[in-house]
Amino acid sequence: MSAIKRTAMMRRLLTTIGLGIVGLLALGSRAEAQEIQLTGPLAGAPPARHLRLYRDGRFEIAPTMSFTLLDEYERTILFGGRAQYNLTDWLGIGVWGAAGISSPTSLTNEISTSAPQSVETQVNIPNCSPAGSAYTARGSAGCPSFANQTGKINWVFAPQVQVVPFRGKLAIFQKIFVDTDAYLHAGVAFVGLTERADCGPGTGGPSSCSNVPLVNGGANSFGTTGSMAIAPTFGLGLNFYLASFVALGVEYRALPFDWNRSGFDSRGAGPNNNFPDDKITSADQTLKFNQMVTISLGFSLPTKPKVSD
Amino acid sequence: MKQAWRWLLVAAALVLLPRAALAQSPKKKPGKKPAAPTAQPAAGGEIELDAPAAPAAPAAPADTGAAPAAPGGPTDAAPPPPAGGGAGGICDIDPTACPKQEDITKAAKKEVNAEVYAVQQIYALRYHRLEIQPWWSVTLNDQFVSHPGPGLGINYYITNVLAVGVSGNYYGGLNEDSDFNFQNRRAAYIAVPLNEYSVGWNANFTYVPVYGKFAGFGNFIFSYDAYLLGGIGMLWTKPIAVIDPDNRSFTYSGKLDVDLGIGLRIFFNRWFALNLEIRDYIYNEQLENTQVAATQAEQLNPSTWYGANSLTNNVQAQVGVSVFLPFGWEYRLPK
Repeated sequence: MSAIKRTAMMRRLLTTIGLGIVGLLALGSRAEAQEIQLTGPLAGAPPARHLRLYRDGRFEIAPTMSFTLLDEYERTILFGGRAQYNLTDWLGIGVWGAAGISSPTSLTNEISTSAPQSVETQVNIPNCSPAGSAYTARGSAGCPSFANQTGKINWVFAPQVQVVPFRGKLAIFQKIFVDTDAYLHAGVAFVGLTERADCGPGTGGPSSCSNVPLVNGGANSFGTTGSMAIAPTFGLGLNFYLASFVALGVEYRALPFDWNRSGFDSRGAGPNNNFPDDKITSADQTLKFNQMVTISLGFSLPTKPKVSD
Repeated sequence: MKQAWRWLLVAAALVLLPRAALAQSPKKKPGKKPAAPTAQPAAGGEIELDAPAAPAAPAAPADTGAAPAAPGGPTDAAPPPPAGGGAGGICDIDPTACPKQEDITKAAKKEVNAEVYAVQQIYALRYHRLEIQPWWSVTLNDQFVSHPGPGLGINYYITNVLAVGVSGNYYGGLNEDSDFNFQNRRAAYIAVPLNEYSVGWNANFTYVPVYGKFAGFGNFIFSYDAYLLGGIGMLWTKPIAVIDPDNRSFTYSGKLDVDLGIGLRIFFNRWFALNLEIRDYIYNEQLENTQVAATQAEQLNPSTWYGANSLTNNVQAQVGVSVFLPFGWEYRLPK
């Protein structure tokens, strides 16, 4: 091996060793900085000390007001309350219950006032023509309104659990500080409904779903009946602790279940029951992802929360 | 061979240099002499007023224009003792500005009105950063037609709480007439005028009044903020022909809109966040005429196709991410 080759090889070797040392030293620098952090006074410390445990071991009662979203025929405002016992700071069990007041949407009013009273629609909207002929005046005495037949949520009762994964605080305008938590809730809801009663041959109700028999002295086929739906309920919410025992809450809740919101005959015949069958039955119930937003004002007992280490 | 050794030494020196900056200096043992004073800056350099008092350097001859002498040179003589007890710092530079003992006593009694921020050194600073915000939106308040679609917002934060920006939504081909609407038409013979969207843009101001932290599962901590926004823009819409689809064919037209929104950003790190927003686009919609003209000629006349105008709220939920540029920054002052 020539001297030149040996020198070149040695140079490459030294360069490699040099780069290796540089790399190791660079690694060492980072590791050392990290080491300082790990052995510092905060090593192993919890993320928060002396945390006010607003939930742990406390009973909460909260009046609530809920507003339904994306309503088709009826809007509902539910007034009620939530009672809950918090087993830990992150887990609570309780119930929510509320009673609803409904008001028609603009679509319901539009149908009430403008939908044609004809043979084609007489199963779905009241036709108050004594002869059952088309396009007659409406609103006569004793003539039911379309708004009467629409489905309504009367009450809800929901045993549920709350899980609180997130706990923190927020600053508003850098001046006001509020302790807050974010939670998930899930349970089973029992929902009291008003829906249009069954009608049509073989349903046990009036034999015809048309209103014509009524004005001719027959049974009213546009009457309503009460029912109860059982549905899953879930959602999420935020609690803002205004004081040690008072919390303002905002919550989203979903309640998916089948019901006949319009009182229309829309299903029951044809392929996959997708066509009207001139009867009102449970086949006319369709799945609705019912949603609502709730605001609450919670009061906790005992009034003074525990404080963590 | 000799060159290789030189390169190796230079590399080692370069690596060791930042090590000295990274590592903490060892604690001073009591009774040990304090470290030597830091060197005086060169002419024109920065003066560290908080630094320990250094011996006064000999005054350079006025208007000589001479460069400062190199250390160890003839001017590097032993310094004279500081006058007046050696206040150092500002006293050496400007003796008239040197605080007297009585002034300090007065100053100590003076009420301090220092501006101390409630939250110092915010984890995710927005000041002078650009936010790129892609999202997917869904309609919240239209049970007849949904207008889902992608969107993009770009905001520049003038201050830490105020940003200006532009945003846009694309809805083309994604509008969806709901089944409920069909059922309603079939059952009650009531056709509700429907509209679809093509595209929209807005210029906005964003204001961030709320900033906070959450501890997740009592284990990790993340920051979030809540913001309000508002602006103006244009939304291109057209009616869907449901009353007389055989004769009516609509084209998109732009409408002036005002948008108002509220949003929540959850930061995963200093430059990446999950974004949840609810925004209301308020505009004057032109609806399809619910009446059909009597004659065929009139039915084909576009002037008979449009009905009433309606102030419309298109409320949409937007779920996306926020990317802040530049990715990092450094605070000028310690906590």
